[in-house]
Amino acid sequence: MVDQQTEAALAALVAAARRSAVGRRLQGDIETRLLQSIVDATVRLFDAEAASIALFEQDPDRLEFRVAAGDQGAGAVGLTVPPSQGIAGFVYSTGQALSLSDVASDPRFNRDAAEQTGYVPRSIAAAPLVDEESTLGVLQVLDKRGSPTFSLQDMELLAVFAGQATVALSAARVQRDTERLLRTVFSQLGPDMAEREVEDLVTAATAELDVDDDAPFWRLVDQVARLRSLTDRETALLTDILDVVATHAGRGRRTRAGR
Amino acid sequence: MTDELPAWSEPFAAPRRQIRRSLRVRGVSREWAWGGATGKGVRVGIIDSGLENSHPRLHGRVVENVTVELGKAGPTVVPDGPVDMFGHGTACGAIILDLAPEVELVSIRVLGADLRGKGTAFAAGLEWAIEQGLEVCNLSLSSKSESLYPVFHDLADRAYFRGRALVSAANNVPAPSYPSLFSSVFSVAAHPEADPWRIYYNPSPPVEFGAWGVDVPIAWKDGGSTVATGNSFAAPHLAGLVALILSKHPGLSPFEVKAILVSVADNPGRRRPRRPAGPPG
Repeated sequence: MVDQQTEAALAALVAAARRSAVGRRLQGDIETRLLQSIVDATVRLFDAEAASIALFEQDPDRLEFRVAAGDQGAGAVGLTVPPSQGIAGFVYSTGQALSLSDVASDPRFNRDAAEQTGYVPRSIAAAPLVDEESTLGVLQVLDKRGSPTFSLQDMELLAVFAGQATVALSAARVQRDTERLLRTVFSQLGPDMAEREVEDLVTAATAELDVDDDAPFWRLVDQVARLRSLTDRETALLTDILDVVATHAGRGRRTRAGR
Repeated sequence: MTDELPAWSEPFAAPRRQIRRSLRVRGVSREWAWGGATGKGVRVGIIDSGLENSHPRLHGRVVENVTVELGKAGPTVVPDGPVDMFGHGTACGAIILDLAPEVELVSIRVLGADLRGKGTAFAAGLEWAIEQGLEVCNLSLSSKSESLYPVFHDLADRAYFRGRALVSAANNVPAPSYPSLFSSVFSVAAHPEADPWRIYYNPSPPVEFGAWGVDVPIAWKDGGSTVATGNSFAAPHLAGLVALILSKHPGLSPFEVKAILVSVADNPGRRRPRRPAGPPG
C-alpha cells in the first residue's frame, strides 16, 4: 500500500513532526499559563466560588482538570474524571453548554468528583471548548455568589470565555496540529486508504516523538529550553563559564597533543 | 424579564419586536391543534445519553432501549439496558411526558463510555430512528464534524420526506453544528419564562422556535432531579407539543406541524384569534 513516493513523504513528515515537537518542548508551559489567566478572569467576572478547565486526554480517555481559580477551586487541579460521567463529561460528550442548580440538595446526584476536591457546589455551569474539528475540553464555573442559578446571559458569557480558551489551546498545541496535519496529508496521498491505515501511519510518524526524557536528543532540547528562560545576566555568566571551560578544554587537548 | 439575552434567545425576550406576526391560519387554535390529545399513538425517539426506564417521572412509558456499537464493519444498533449515562436523556424524556403523557419513548443511546462525542454513532442512531418510522425525534445534542455534514444533511432530508419531525436544540457556541442548522429541522432555543406551554416563532432562522429552557426542574440520574438551564431543555418542550399535534392529527408533515406551531405561538402583535370553525368543542 505504501509506495516509494509515500515513503519519501513519510520521511519528510516525520522530520516536520520532530521539528514541531522540539518547538513545543521549547515553548514551555504557555498553554497552562493562558488557561490559568482565563479561569482567573472567569471566576472574577462571575464572582464565583471556583472556575476550572478540564482537557480531554487519551490512553485512557479522561478529562483532566488542568487549571482552576477561586476560593474553592484549588482542589480540582490534577483531578481526572471519565468523559462519560458528570456534568463535565456530558458537556464534553454533547458539545452542549449546560447549567444545573440545586445540585447539592439532591443526595443521589453524582458528585464523587466534587467530593474529591473537598467542595460540593450548589450550582454548576459548563461550556464546551469546541474548535472546528472536535471538543477539546470543558470550562466550568461553580456557585455564583450573587445568585443561586446561572442565567442565559451567564451561559453566553461562559461560551465567550470557552472560545478564548479554545483559541489559546489551538495556538499552543503544536503537537496536536502536527497529528492533524499528518492525518490530512496521508488521507490525500492515499485517498483509498482506510481510516485505520491512516491512523497507523500517523502513529508511526509520531511514535518516536513520545516524550522519552532520557534520550540524549530530548535532554539537549530541554537544556536549550532552560537556557531560553535565563535572564541576560545569567546568560552572560553562563557564557563566561563556557568560555573558561572551552579554553581549559582547548589547553588540555593541546597538552595531550604535545606529548 | 430581562432584555439582555444571548443572540440565540434574544428574539424571544420582551418586547419581541422582531417576532411580531399577524399571520394566523384561520381555524387553527391550540384547542384545535392539540386539545384533548395525550400523545397516544406517537413514538418519540430520545437520541441522547439513554433513558432510566425506572425513573418515576418516566412513569413506565419507555418501550425500547437501543444503543450504537462502533465495530470494524461500521456502526450497528443493538439492544441497550434501561440506563442513562448522565441523566440528560431522562431529563428530556420527562419534559416530553409532562406535555404529552401517553407518548411512547424510545431511547437511542449515542453517548456514553465508548461513544464519547462520536458523530458516527449519533448519525447511525438517527438513521435507525428514521428507518423505524419514529414520528418525532428529540436531538438535544449536535455534531461539529465537517465530514458528517453531508451525512446529517441526507438524514434530515430523509426524515422530512418521510414526514418525521426532528426537533433539535440550537447549539449555543458560535460554530457550525448539525443537524440543528438544517431548514427542515425544528431548531429550538431557550426562553426564560417558566411556562412549558409558551412557545415563540422566530421568523429569522436558523433558530425557528423558542421554548422554556431556563431554571427548568428536570429529572436526573438515579431517580433524582435538579434544576437546569440550556437549549437542551427547550427542545423537548417543543418536541412534546409536536407529539401532541401528531397524536391528534396523524400523518401531518413537518412543514404542516411547523405551520400549526407558528399559528398558535405566543408571538405578540397578532389579531385576536377567531373562534374555530366547525361545531363548538
